[in-house]
Amino acid sequence: MAPPVIKLRGLARTYPGSPPVHAVRPADLVIEAGDYVAVTGPSGSGKSTLLHLLGLLDTPTAGTYLLDGLDTSTLGDRDRSALRGSSIGFVFQAFHLLPYRTAAENVLLAELYNRTPRGARIRAAEHALGSVGLGHRLDALPTTLSGGESQRVAIARALVNRPSLLLCDEPTGNLDSRNAATVMELLGELNEAGFTIVVITHDPAIGARARRTVAMRDGVASETVAAAAAVAVKDRA
Amino acid sequence: MSGRRAGFPVSAMSARDTVSEAVAGIVQRPGRAVLTMLGTVLGVGAFVAVLGMTATGAGQISRQFTALQQTTVTVEDNGPANDAAPPGTNPPIGFPADADQVAERINGVTAAGVWWPVALPSGTSVTGSLALSANALQTVTVLAASPGAIKAMGLSMVAGSPLSTYENDTAQHVALIDATTAQQLGISAGRLASHPAVFVGNIAYTVVGIYSSAKRVVTDESALLIPEKTALASYGNPAPGIGDQQEAQMVVATRIGAAKAVAAQIAAAELPTDPSRLVVTSPPNPQNLQSQVTGDLASLFLVLALISLLIGAVGIANTTLVAVLERTEEIGLRRALGARPRHIAGQFLAESAALGTIGGLIGTSIGVFVVVISAAAKDWTAVLNPSYTLPAPLIGTVVGLLAGAYPALRAARTSPLAALRHA
Repeated sequence: MAPPVIKLRGLARTYPGSPPVHAVRPADLVIEAGDYVAVTGPSGSGKSTLLHLLGLLDTPTAGTYLLDGLDTSTLGDRDRSALRGSSIGFVFQAFHLLPYRTAAENVLLAELYNRTPRGARIRAAEHALGSVGLGHRLDALPTTLSGGESQRVAIARALVNRPSLLLCDEPTGNLDSRNAATVMELLGELNEAGFTIVVITHDPAIGARARRTVAMRDGVASETVAAAAAVAVKDRA
Repeated sequence: MSGRRAGFPVSAMSARDTVSEAVAGIVQRPGRAVLTMLGTVLGVGAFVAVLGMTATGAGQISRQFTALQQTTVTVEDNGPANDAAPPGTNPPIGFPADADQVAERINGVTAAGVWWPVALPSGTSVTGSLALSANALQTVTVLAASPGAIKAMGLSMVAGSPLSTYENDTAQHVALIDATTAQQLGISAGRLASHPAVFVGNIAYTVVGIYSSAKRVVTDESALLIPEKTALASYGNPAPGIGDQQEAQMVVATRIGAAKAVAAQIAAAELPTDPSRLVVTSPPNPQNLQSQVTGDLASLFLVLALISLLIGAVGIANTTLVAVLERTEEIGLRRALGARPRHIAGQFLAESAALGTIGGLIGTSIGVFVVVISAAAKDWTAVLNPSYTLPAPLIGTVVGLLAGAYPALRAARTSPLAALRHA
């Protein structure tokens, strides 16, 4: 059986200072392939720090983080960069699309650093844009896209390398409710298609769409609907 | 730690991708790119233009000098024996009687002969007719010249023929005059057949030839040329060259490239017993002339070119640094997408190097254009040395690389985390 996508053992992040800030207190968490997990909590609860740790953008001060069974706490920046590029797809609240590049070019950017042959890139990018329903807007500039379309381009960019984990940071934070609904629907479809998704959000309604919810409060992570997740995992196994 | 051991390939970015990312970064801000390049454009352009103009000028000078000066050797009879002569009398000429023939036996000599300005009694005028003293000329120079000297002067004859050996040996009263003097004296080319005469003082000379220009000695003056033996018989020995007097001298025409060798031999050949009496002047080295011209002004302009390159570098450094700060978000995104710090540094370095290279290319084009246009305006041949014109754009590349080094380092150090917090 394949190892879980994410396995945290006592993972913690403390920012030095007086007094030191315990952004994430030692947490244990297992996320299996195909899971759809929401991390919820108010601002300052430590959920952003958890996202940075899960995304290999920050290093923990204690504990271990196994990504696809690989202990990332022993990896240097070179390997962490490579893992970010190949195993994790990021979806940001602010989309982070390059304004002077077309939708297809923005998606291509994710393939720039992972040795994808040039010829294969554009096909993969077109396919990814097609799968988020934007096959007809390949050459559109981000300035001409609506917020929902922009976020779908960003999702296409996140999934073009078929990563083990889609890591979404407040994916609907900059969207109106209608666009937010479409994006959440898309994430649901992607999960149905087999993608493992972790959504960080302060919005309980968004969190409710996930199969599992991890609530963060004062740096402490606690699972609220673990039973449903267990069922889901069994279904897939 | 090996990426292969961990089961996934290490992030990579090909040179081609780096270049296309850099170009994309430049073209998205074309106006800013042009302004950034300006210093490099001016610096490289000034560099190419200064070196091109210098080479063009020097080439022009050396062409003028090589043609004639490089084939001319002058020998002056200026030895101490002249000073030893009794006052008021002119000593005999230091050159041997067969000076022309001796010189012509030296390998490389095409023609050689003795000449001197005849010291006429004061108040002597030159006229075409004793009867019509109205158009008497006071300013005509009379030169005594051997047949070899006439040949070495390289006269372009309008009519008649140069002085012959016979006319010299028998001391005939014949003369060659230049076209300007001929016109002033009323002697036209058509009248030559009727043996017109010019009177120098009271002595009549039959005009046997009219010349329009000369390559040596009488290049820019009006002169009446008479055979040397005629001059000796009529006016005595030439002045000894004291003060502003002009002594007898020898003009030697050589083949191209032979002047130096001829100059080294001729004194000993002409006067084996006392070669130091003869003062030999050989042509100036065109290389020295070039370096003189290249000197002061060119180095000043090269300093200015260096200053503009420096300003160009500061401009690129500044713009790239601003771009790095502006694009913190993009850097963070790229790091999240798997880019390593070196890929980020490479991208910004490639961007500044590309800016510098484009600036260098434009500057080189402008420099070449300036050289060609200004050479054409003076009817000169533009001289552009490929050994510095072709690599000139690379100066821009180097400027761009140096200027981009610090901003690229800053970009590489940008934390992916800080970048994402930016929004």
